[in-house]
Amino acid sequence: MFDLIIMLSRYAFIGYIVLFLWQGVVYVAYEQGGNLGNPYRAVSIQRRLIVLMHITAFLILSYNRESHFFDIPTLIFAAVSLVFILLAVKLLDRFYYEGCPLIWTGMLFLMDLSLIMLQRLEPYLAKRQMMWMAIGLAGMSFLPTFFRIIPRFEVFEWAYIIACYGLLLCTRLFGIAKGGSTNWLSFSVGSLDITFQPSEIAKFLFVFYLASVFRKRVEWRQFLTTGILSAGLVFLLVLQKDLGSALIFFMTYMVMLYIATSNEMLMLLGFGAASGAAAVAYKLFSHVRVRVAAWQNPWADIDTGGYQIVNSLFAITTWGMLGSGLTKGMPRSIPVVESDMIFAAICEEFGVLFGMGVIGVFIMLLYRGVRIALDCGRRYYSILAAGVTTMISFQAFVILGGVIKLIPLTGVTLPFVSYGGSSVLVSLMMIGLLQWVCVYCEQQNREAEERELEWLGGGEWDE
Amino acid sequence: MSNMKRSMRRVFWLLALCFFLLLGYLGKLVLVEREEISGNAYNSRLRYADDSIRRGDILDRDGELLATSLLQEDGTYRREYPRSRMAAHITGYSSVGKSGTEAAENFTLMALHNEFLQRVSSIVRKTELKGNSVALTVDMEIQSVAGNLLGSAKGAVVVMEPSTGRVLALQAYPDFNPNQVANQWETLRDHKDSPLVNRGTQGIYPPGSTFKTITALAAMEHYRGWEDFTIECTGEMHFEDKVIHCYQDKAHGTVDMKAAMAVSCNCYFAALAKEMGAGDLVKTMKQAGMQMPSHFELETSKNAIYLEKNASENELVETAIGQGRTGVTPLYMAMLASAIANEGLMMQPYIVDHVVYPDGGTGKETIPNKLTEICTAEQAAALTDMMTEVVSSGTGTAAAVQGVTVAGKTGTAENATGNDHSWFIGFAPAEEPKVAVAVLLENRNQGSATPIAGKVIAAALQELEE
Repeated sequence: MFDLIIMLSRYAFIGYIVLFLWQGVVYVAYEQGGNLGNPYRAVSIQRRLIVLMHITAFLILSYNRESHFFDIPTLIFAAVSLVFILLAVKLLDRFYYEGCPLIWTGMLFLMDLSLIMLQRLEPYLAKRQMMWMAIGLAGMSFLPTFFRIIPRFEVFEWAYIIACYGLLLCTRLFGIAKGGSTNWLSFSVGSLDITFQPSEIAKFLFVFYLASVFRKRVEWRQFLTTGILSAGLVFLLVLQKDLGSALIFFMTYMVMLYIATSNEMLMLLGFGAASGAAAVAYKLFSHVRVRVAAWQNPWADIDTGGYQIVNSLFAITTWGMLGSGLTKGMPRSIPVVESDMIFAAICEEFGVLFGMGVIGVFIMLLYRGVRIALDCGRRYYSILAAGVTTMISFQAFVILGGVIKLIPLTGVTLPFVSYGGSSVLVSLMMIGLLQWVCVYCEQQNREAEERELEWLGGGEWDE
Repeated sequence: MSNMKRSMRRVFWLLALCFFLLLGYLGKLVLVEREEISGNAYNSRLRYADDSIRRGDILDRDGELLATSLLQEDGTYRREYPRSRMAAHITGYSSVGKSGTEAAENFTLMALHNEFLQRVSSIVRKTELKGNSVALTVDMEIQSVAGNLLGSAKGAVVVMEPSTGRVLALQAYPDFNPNQVANQWETLRDHKDSPLVNRGTQGIYPPGSTFKTITALAAMEHYRGWEDFTIECTGEMHFEDKVIHCYQDKAHGTVDMKAAMAVSCNCYFAALAKEMGAGDLVKTMKQAGMQMPSHFELETSKNAIYLEKNASENELVETAIGQGRTGVTPLYMAMLASAIANEGLMMQPYIVDHVVYPDGGTGKETIPNKLTEICTAEQAAALTDMMTEVVSSGTGTAAAVQGVTVAGKTGTAENATGNDHSWFIGFAPAEEPKVAVAVLLENRNQGSATPIAGKVIAAALQELEE
């Protein structure tokens, strides 16, 4: 009987995500002047869908087949995490009044999915993940105040890039290897062992640095300095075997440069140089060659190099569009499934249709991020918003593409979904930044409008 | 500022395109490549389902059971092969890993049609979950005749329908008992005769004189004076630093292509190849699909091809008469015979005819597919004419069937493993071919494959008539 419920739940989950995305469309349509329904209602439906998904999933996860009853600790965690999600909604409304609601719901949807999937894979990781999310949300709430205290943070451009280099170099010196890359730092706070990835924090600083430089007119001097410094960072990352991050840094640089200069020639130049560099890296580093070989033909080497990607493909394709049903698949057979490969587990148990829906949520986030950048009147904030959006979206693309074998697999996390403290923290801070820009620009726009109205209606014709 | 916004829009579309690529690729993975990927023997997910699902049956073209699953008392299923050795290399085994059709159609055999209804019914009414069955193109009557004729001679017999590429029979010896693979595993795996290897599709042998059909096609296509090309055969001929002998140094006198084909004159075809040059022969070998993947369902070896455009004269003349380093599978030789029979069109060989759902409905059917065009219809007709001569008055008279014109070509392949291998490829009736065969016997006397081929053709024609 329980099996039947799991089978039916597959349709429910797909229903949730389709409805969720549809409500996003309703909201956007209203904004664009169309009318498919009430936008406020759409957002509140989205929130309810998250709650519904949470309840459905945790009821299945907490059911104990032997005792035919629910597992109490799991139920407690389910309740706590539900309260956590609901609190987050309130908190964000309070600190970011007028932030884009679709970004909030999209983010919370992904976070909730992360908790569900981690609970299914490795319950203690779900608890740690929630802790990181709580810390991230707390930091995020503090962000607007922080920016109010230090209003002109664009002047610290050198500090940002020096900090970036500092972070990456200290992994060269003290770093430990984990998952094939030497990009982890480890230290103990009391009894808690904490490992974190400095490259995650460097991402955040890197966007600040580029936006700070590009806020002014970009001359050859700026182009050359940013180009050389960014290339240096990318090189360091490749050296640490963190190819995914290297790719993300490179892409973010190119996109921000393009936005700041609108110069297609520079793009061609940049991509040309990158292709050359990639070819050299391919010749020089064996770890690059291994990745490419595993991507080109994982079947030739299933036992070693291709093992991860092949198992990911098995997980995605075996059960088809609807998936195996939550708890019925074998996601544990995929190496590092809780972090980098979590999307394969989602496709396996929730079905590929649901996986497509998750990609849809990322498209929604991308669209809203770009919307904020476009609507922003101040060049610096606009570039900042565009940079952050690009970074999150491209990171999602790199790992999603890797998991499904569209591009070579490189170990980066899927923002908000993968397990990983530094990843969750930094992703949350980035969204916080994006929303802050949104709030700030809305205020600016409104003030400008008010001034204009005053000017029109006031009739002060002094000159 | 407006420039910047325009660039931003472009970047947005670029990133959005990336995401749509993801969606498209994910869709392709599941809709198009699902069977191939998840049917892989390494996929532990299918094995995990093994216990709860009753694996589908394998049937021959008349519905005879070749493999089926029986419920045992402890609730698990046992795989049984009613025809045992007779179809061993076709069904393969499903116990210690998988081979043959069991491996190729693993996904289909384990897939649930109407999954939702089956699962609901299994939970509510406790009915069993049944995978799909596959119906093969193989005819067990022909398969048995071929198997009995082969007896305990190492070799292979492949029978095909030229116009479609259906494999009607695929026999290979040494074979194994698929019911006993699990308890004889180590013996079977380590046996020096490799009984688990399907010699019909995985064995690679020098083609011997059967290759002369390809040399002839090359001349027809690329050497304009081929119809007037004759030599004076003295039983041996000198090349660069190689002497080519005819069988038992027999002198054939003045021969043209037709006569040379009938008596299988080595000197003629070696001289012809020298006249033509290696480039043209290489082109025709490509044209004849020798290097093409066959896409056959069962595990198939690739032909071994070494001849290059600027090969030495020695290598060229050896290749032209089917000696040297060239190696082919019996399956490929059957495809070649079929192509000549089918006016030059080589069809893609296949063995799975259609899928049968547990409720009896018909699932996916294989549609015959053209692989390549090896020559024109006229060239095929000319070659058929020569091959008819081989059986009516040449080296292949033992393959003649009463009342039917058989076309064929014999072959004797020298090799490093001992006695010569004996080949025969052919088809019948020559006027309107219905069946093509390739027979190979390892280390048997010259000509020993020919009578077997004749009997298989006769049996197949009779069976198809009914």
